[in-house]
Amino acid sequence: MNPLLQVDAIQKTYTTGGHAFHALDGVSFTIDHGEFVGIMGPSGAGKSTLLNVLATIDTPTNGDILVDGENIAKLEEEALSDFRRDHLGFIFQDYNLLDSLTVRENILLPLAVTKTPVDETRSRVDALANRFGITAILDQYPYQISGGQKQRTAVCRALISNPKLIFADEPTGALDSKSATDLLQTLAGLNEAETTIMMVTHDAYAASFCRRVLYIQDGRLSKELIRGTTSRDAFYQTILDELKGGASDDAV
Amino acid sequence: MTLFDLAKKNVARNLSRYALYVGTTIFSIIIYFTFATLKHSDEISGMAETSGQIRSLMSASTFILLVFVALFIAYSNAFFLKGRKREVGLYSLLGVRKKQIGTLLLFENLVIGAVSLLVGIGLGLLGSNALLQLLLRLMNSDLSIGFTVATSALIETTLVFVAIFLFTSFQGYRVIYRFKLIELFHADKKGEDVPEASPFMALLGVLVLGAAYWLALQDLATSPLWGYLTAAMPLLIIGLTIIGSGLLFHSVLIFILGRLKANERWAWRRLNLLTTSQLLYRIRGNAKTLTLISIISATAITAGGAIFSVYYYAEQQVTSYAPYTFAWQGEARDIDADVLHQTTVLEKTVRVEGEMGEREYGVIDESTFRDVASDLGWDTPERLATDQVYLIDPFYDERFSIDVTAVELDGVKHEVASRYEETPLNVMTFGGLLLVTTDDVFTDLPEQAATYQAVSVADYKQQTALSEALSIEANFSSATALYSEAMAVHGALLFVGSFLGLVFLVATGSIIYFKTMTEAEEDRAKYAVLRKVGISKRDVKRTIRQQIAVVFLAPFSLGIVHASVALVAFSRLLGMDFTVPVLVWMGVYSAIYALYYVLTVRRFTKQIL
Repeated sequence: MNPLLQVDAIQKTYTTGGHAFHALDGVSFTIDHGEFVGIMGPSGAGKSTLLNVLATIDTPTNGDILVDGENIAKLEEEALSDFRRDHLGFIFQDYNLLDSLTVRENILLPLAVTKTPVDETRSRVDALANRFGITAILDQYPYQISGGQKQRTAVCRALISNPKLIFADEPTGALDSKSATDLLQTLAGLNEAETTIMMVTHDAYAASFCRRVLYIQDGRLSKELIRGTTSRDAFYQTILDELKGGASDDAV
Repeated sequence: MTLFDLAKKNVARNLSRYALYVGTTIFSIIIYFTFATLKHSDEISGMAETSGQIRSLMSASTFILLVFVALFIAYSNAFFLKGRKREVGLYSLLGVRKKQIGTLLLFENLVIGAVSLLVGIGLGLLGSNALLQLLLRLMNSDLSIGFTVATSALIETTLVFVAIFLFTSFQGYRVIYRFKLIELFHADKKGEDVPEASPFMALLGVLVLGAAYWLALQDLATSPLWGYLTAAMPLLIIGLTIIGSGLLFHSVLIFILGRLKANERWAWRRLNLLTTSQLLYRIRGNAKTLTLISIISATAITAGGAIFSVYYYAEQQVTSYAPYTFAWQGEARDIDADVLHQTTVLEKTVRVEGEMGEREYGVIDESTFRDVASDLGWDTPERLATDQVYLIDPFYDERFSIDVTAVELDGVKHEVASRYEETPLNVMTFGGLLLVTTDDVFTDLPEQAATYQAVSVADYKQQTALSEALSIEANFSSATALYSEAMAVHGALLFVGSFLGLVFLVATGSIIYFKTMTEAEEDRAKYAVLRKVGISKRDVKRTIRQQIAVVFLAPFSLGIVHASVALVAFSRLLGMDFTVPVLVWMGVYSAIYALYYVLTVRRFTKQIL
């Protein structure tokens, strides 16, 4: 079987005033169905650029991105939107909920544009809300609920269209440690239920929930850590050690 | 870096945002300067001396324009400042004193004012000269004038706008002191409660508007309400209309949007949900603006429609009062023009007792009547019996006039066989009330007959010289003179009316444009989210089009309805059918308004995507 996501030598180059800056310089990797992959790296390493390119929000200068065999780097604008809507789910650091919509309406928004029947929409929203414990706040507005609840709303919105792949961009960045742990456990639970997740983070604790961690530096992949059968705590320690090593490399 | 450098950099970097504000002020100045030039121009003042109507119209219009321009600039300045809250907050956070920020903004506004004034007056010079030519053409005037610079208009405009800019500058300065730092940063993040519609208020809005319309459609002559309220009546109608419109936007619109949103089958399709939510979210802040716009549109459409109608019918009115180009008492004269018809008419003057006292009639005989009727292309009248007459009463109005069924001539009662509400002979020469008797009855009348001449010539509008040559004749009447007088008054009226109409139109369009673009700034992040969750550009564009369409259409449709009611009332009062000219005027108005809509959607989409 093909990998779910195949990234093949992508480059992203910004040219300002004659100087070419390679935000991504030939990154290649694959993600299989059912994986939970973390992308780590210091600020400016190209994490966000990579996520944006994979998420089809930005386009690579060179290289191919295949999702389930379909080359999304070659898709047209409108086709990209549809692809994003039907196959990808997003969770952002600052939630990106719409203030003028209730929690329920925020969650169902991606379904509304696909002309899903009302009854099916309703049952899917209710099922997800129930699963993530936000049924009670479905009719409230984002400014009335807590950060953790907002992020769970965002997770529901990301899942509503049964995406093949979920991208999470520093999803715990704005949460307190309790809410962050809740969310990470939620993501890990989702992953056990066969959802493929790719999470960008700079936080070793968050990364330790992943099955595999890719380390990116100066626009290139520098390391790959695999959790295998070790415990989460042990993996956390491995990541921390690796980060220290990376830091001393920087010093040299 | 000095404060001045900062101000300069600011303007240079944010040119596009400033452009909108500067554009508005320049536009206001052009409009005002053009109008002031017209008011002060020798040609118009010359005309104003002869016509008090034009003079009072001009000064009233200047006043309206002044109020309007001041409000408009204050409004755009407030919008402009609102959009810059974050920037001001940042300065404050960096430790710049409020006094310095205030000075910066004051300085900036004064510079913008000075630049706008220069550009505005420059463009206004061109505009006013072009418009002056147009005005003279509309007034059917033969005067030709070259390029003029009106010093007094220059001074007036400068004074008015310096005052306005000083006012808005200090307004901005004051606003800085009222800002709280925390508000500056969260100004657009603060969640607003979604408004709930009270069905009671919604119903009240509909009722109040209904009452206003009902009052407006009461007949001035017969309604007892006009008798009681007299001059207070128009004020009452206007007051109720404004309140009703306000309630309509505040409650009825919220009510409808709420209902739409609650209907999941409709709302959960495409971005309908978002469209209604966005509209609801902003409606409270927008209700006042929408009311203002509906009232301004109604005023502009009504005034323009009425004036255009009167202009449109001016020619018809001339020919109905003076069916013959020239008429006078006395002998025939040689006419140096292409004569179409020429008749000599004998008329006797009789006094007849009636219900309302004695009335004076001119009497002509049946043969003459048949002649003139055939000259005018009327249907050939039926033969009169000896005891019958035709009554011609061009001023007949069923609401005021008494219905005369018989007249006593020389002691003999004559039945009115039929009544004509159009006269075949010039009112100013022959009098309005005419009786037509059989030739024998006419000859037997004891009164002395006077001889009159009636002449029709081709191109009657162009016969000014001939008209003046003939004007020494007794009881002279001239369609040519009547027409040029009507054009002078109505042409000026039409010009001033459409000028103000255009100003109001541009104003309403610009206010909505301003508001929408300010919202675009705040909404940019929202639309970015939509794009990220995979909603296509096409869907986003569609919701933008729909949202802006509601904001444009709602006040405009209400304005059209207001104006239609007002124009129906007005046309009943004058006893004229306004349908054609009003539809033309509304069509032109709507077309320009639609252009504004397209422009706003374009700019908004460009800003967001």
